[in-house]
Amino acid sequence: MKFPRLLGKTQTDRGKGIDYTFLTVVIMLLAYGLIMVFSASSASAHYRMGDTFYFIKRQGICAVIGLIGMYVFSVIHYKKYYKWALPFLGIVVILLVLVLTPLGVEVNGASRWLGFSFLTFQPSELAKFALIIFLAKYLTDNGKMLEKPGGFIANLVIIGLIAGLVLLEPHMSGAMVIAGVGVVILYVAGAKKLHLSILAVLGIVGAFGLIAIAPYRMARFTTFLDPFADMQGEGFQIVQSLYAIGSGGFFGLGLGQSRQKFLYLPEPQNDFIFSIICEELGFFGALLVIVLFAVLIWKGIQIAMRAPDKFSSLLVAGIISLVAIQVILNIAVVTSSMPATGVPLPFFSYGGTSLIIMLCGMGIVLNVTRHIKK
Amino acid sequence: MKDMNLQGKKRIFSVFAFVVIVLVALVGRCFWIQFVDGPNLQIRAIEQQTKDKTINSKRGVIYDRNGKILAQSASVELVSVNPREIADAGNADFVADTLSSILGLDRNAVFEKLHKNSSYEIIKRRVEKPEAEAIRGYMSYTNESGETVNMMKGVYLSEDTKRYYPYGPLAAHVIGFVGTDNQGLSGVELSFDNYLKGLPGRVVTAKNAIGTDMPYQYEKYINPENGANLVLTIDETIQHFVEKHLEQAVAEYNVQNGAACIIMNCKTGEILAMATYPSYDLNDPFTLNDPAVQAEIDALSGEERTTRYNEAIQQMWRNKAVVDTYEPGSTFKGITTAMALEENVVGVNDMFNCSGHLQVGPHSIGCWKSGGHGSLTFVQGVENSCNPVFMTVGSRIGPQNFYKYYKAFGFAEKTGFDLPGEAVCAFHAMENFNEVELATSSFGQSFQITPLQLVTAYSAICNDGTMVRPRIAKALVDDDGNVLKTFETEYIRKVISAETAATTRTILESVVTNGTSKNAYIPGFRIAGKTGTSEKLPRGNGKYIASFLGFAPANDPEIIGLLILDEPMGDTYMGGQIAAPTFKLIFDDVLRYMGVEPQYTTEEIETMDLPVPNVVGLPVADVSNAFANSGLKYQIVGDGDTIVSQIPNGGTALPSGSTVVLYTRETSENDVVVPDVVGCSVTETNRRITNAGLNIKISGDAEVKDGEAVAATQSPPPGTLVPKGTVVTVEFKYINVH
Repeated sequence: MKFPRLLGKTQTDRGKGIDYTFLTVVIMLLAYGLIMVFSASSASAHYRMGDTFYFIKRQGICAVIGLIGMYVFSVIHYKKYYKWALPFLGIVVILLVLVLTPLGVEVNGASRWLGFSFLTFQPSELAKFALIIFLAKYLTDNGKMLEKPGGFIANLVIIGLIAGLVLLEPHMSGAMVIAGVGVVILYVAGAKKLHLSILAVLGIVGAFGLIAIAPYRMARFTTFLDPFADMQGEGFQIVQSLYAIGSGGFFGLGLGQSRQKFLYLPEPQNDFIFSIICEELGFFGALLVIVLFAVLIWKGIQIAMRAPDKFSSLLVAGIISLVAIQVILNIAVVTSSMPATGVPLPFFSYGGTSLIIMLCGMGIVLNVTRHIKK
Repeated sequence: MKDMNLQGKKRIFSVFAFVVIVLVALVGRCFWIQFVDGPNLQIRAIEQQTKDKTINSKRGVIYDRNGKILAQSASVELVSVNPREIADAGNADFVADTLSSILGLDRNAVFEKLHKNSSYEIIKRRVEKPEAEAIRGYMSYTNESGETVNMMKGVYLSEDTKRYYPYGPLAAHVIGFVGTDNQGLSGVELSFDNYLKGLPGRVVTAKNAIGTDMPYQYEKYINPENGANLVLTIDETIQHFVEKHLEQAVAEYNVQNGAACIIMNCKTGEILAMATYPSYDLNDPFTLNDPAVQAEIDALSGEERTTRYNEAIQQMWRNKAVVDTYEPGSTFKGITTAMALEENVVGVNDMFNCSGHLQVGPHSIGCWKSGGHGSLTFVQGVENSCNPVFMTVGSRIGPQNFYKYYKAFGFAEKTGFDLPGEAVCAFHAMENFNEVELATSSFGQSFQITPLQLVTAYSAICNDGTMVRPRIAKALVDDDGNVLKTFETEYIRKVISAETAATTRTILESVVTNGTSKNAYIPGFRIAGKTGTSEKLPRGNGKYIASFLGFAPANDPEIIGLLILDEPMGDTYMGGQIAAPTFKLIFDDVLRYMGVEPQYTTEEIETMDLPVPNVVGLPVADVSNAFANSGLKYQIVGDGDTIVSQIPNGGTALPSGSTVVLYTRETSENDVVVPDVVGCSVTETNRRITNAGLNIKISGDAEVKDGEAVAATQSPPPGTLVPKGTVVTVEFKYINVH
């Protein structure tokens, strides 16, 4: 396979060639995701935007950009990030602070975007990768330090700084994902189980504390326990999601045949796209999604284990855990298995920044596959 | 750069293992939602995703027994709105203005409905075509630039039905009317609602969350099933006769509390007419029929007004013949007669003595004729409606048997008639049913029944002892005329023997020919019947119910009727004086309309009017031949050879034995003065007119006897100079009738 040489021969890294299985799974997920974004968004696009293709056009453009990005990152040698890890993190911290200033674009009471009009992006998406890269480098360099309480805490401070800035937007789910990814990297890098256990206990206490101080989180929490109790209020989305999933049966109502997407399920192309998959393609379609992700994660884990060095191993483990955590949180939320929080389903949920950055991340993993010791 | 250590690789794998476990759990969760909770969730989802629109079924037509349409539904339209669409279109002001002005509604009320948080609000039902078309005009409005636009986005027109009653007030209490949802509210519209209403159809369409239809998604159409058409036993013509005569009677006798009449085929139980006066217009059943009451209510306000209106409207809707109870009075004596004959405690020729009252226990109970009837047979006792005779007979029947027959004749139960609201009153408790109660009960007082119960009880007398269940429905037919169901004659039970029934009928016929019911006599039609006058409770307030129950022909009755005049306040209030003549007018019309064959008795033929032969131009010698079988006499004036004129003219009807005066020359020397006969007895009238050389004709054809009636009117009036032989028509009125 010959990729066009966009970056010039001297700067591109082709190594031993990419892992095509991994690439295939990514392409399958992307294609599946685009089909579902179109199907799920058509109704609300028609009613709200007056253009059935409104969302799919934007998502399609982002997918193309993302694919280009994936190629570009697949030919950039992963070791370059090792050098740029700290400045990258610094830039991200600045961006995350900027989001909190009046420069941030506020939507629905949360200031998560930077940019102008249609050209906006979420620094928190970038922050996930900046943190993964930074931790991979930092732990590669200071592996032994992690076993000491001080080192463990130092890493937690860095994770906490990034997650905290995201939380301030406020973007609870983003912060959760960042913290989750950070902890997984610490675990893989060899953090003491005692430290992790203490952290887990503190985390649970902290989570309940956060729920307790913010009424809207409390409402979401009680809603999760019985969404039907407040069907017209807090429970609305979850109930609509359950209606969609429950209507699917084994093979679903057929592609495009969702009824819940007709303005019942708010923004069905976003966080609740999995519900529409369940409704239209049934249990079979849902299983296919989960199996594809499982294969992707399995291939990713394999790559992490066979990675040429600790840095790349941690890098891949971090990126794969980012995918895994988001998949788990998203599906758990839409199936009312945990309190509602807005986590997109990678490759599926509508959202340009998330898709482009996720594909770029896949590019990084692909680059690592070029250096796997056979 | 360092390699990943083994521990790190293990940990990477354990992360994967953890992820797989969680993913498997999530697959399980999906499975649970889709297959365990699935069916329930699906139902709830479909409930919210679909819009269920009812399509009204066409309500059945109500026909009279001859196929005349009494009630019919016509297609009109229903105007509804989808407030969410109105909100999206932002045309609330325009829609409120337009709809309120076209439909004549309050603008604020409409405006409020347009802002309800719903996707369906009814603005007005039963909108006629022109108004609907006006609205439709705005739905495809061509504006200045020639574009067709819908100015009424969110407004919908759909099919609705309206009930029409072509005869308006005719048989209103029988037919009844429907409410806003076409549900029967009274009369057969209510009692046959299940047959008439049919099964509404449905259109189930998919809708989105804002309530608009989703094209091409899902639509299911369930056809409405039209209601069955109901054929009543009512005959529109008979009903019309009855209502006409009721109205006249109410006016003539100053009846204050309305009137009721039932005409039933006593062989089949089919009600041919059932009327309550005053009636009301079925096309406008919520408007009071009495402007005076309406004015009285208009003067009130608030709750009092509502209460009074409800009272008045309920009163107006009452079917007196079925719902109201009353003391039957003497009309019950026919039943007592049947009981006594069946129990063999009295013979038709048993002798009684009426002194004007009878001592019953501590009470002296009087006869209506205070002087008493003296010595009389049982039959004469019935003919004269003598209370002491019936009290004596009652005590012979005894309380046990009386109560047994009371129940057997169905007075303690509903007749099972198919109109709503049938009443039953409690009779005396057996332990309190002592000699006084028995005495009063035997002449129809101290208990209450409905008119329909009395008619049903008498059906046993008409029907050789078997009571027939009254009914209003003949058949159900579909739109193609196929009979879906025929309502058959139902017999309630055999109460008395055929012989008892026949004897009772004979006695009741003689009540009409010889007794107190003479005013109901129609020659040739063998009317049998009994009058009744009962004083309303509390006694002594001067309020009476005058009634008459009769059937014909007496030997083999076909129809039975009961007429009730509630609170007559004219000069006369007795059943025989006002109910019997009205009944006679009704039966005369009905029997002739039904084509019942007249059966004249020998005496009737003797007293019947005979046609005068035309002998003008005949030679005098041939006159005796012409009169040979005419039943009339003649007198020749003058000595010519040829008859040049005759009084009365040929073809005139004269009572048999009258004299026709024949002239052989033109003359006026035989002109006579008409005598005054008003107030005279029958004999005196006859004497005066015959002595004057005139002929008499008694209007009403009744065979009147002396002492019972006096001449009330005469034509020509007294003092008129007329040729000899001229017919003087005299109308007699009975006096002293009960």
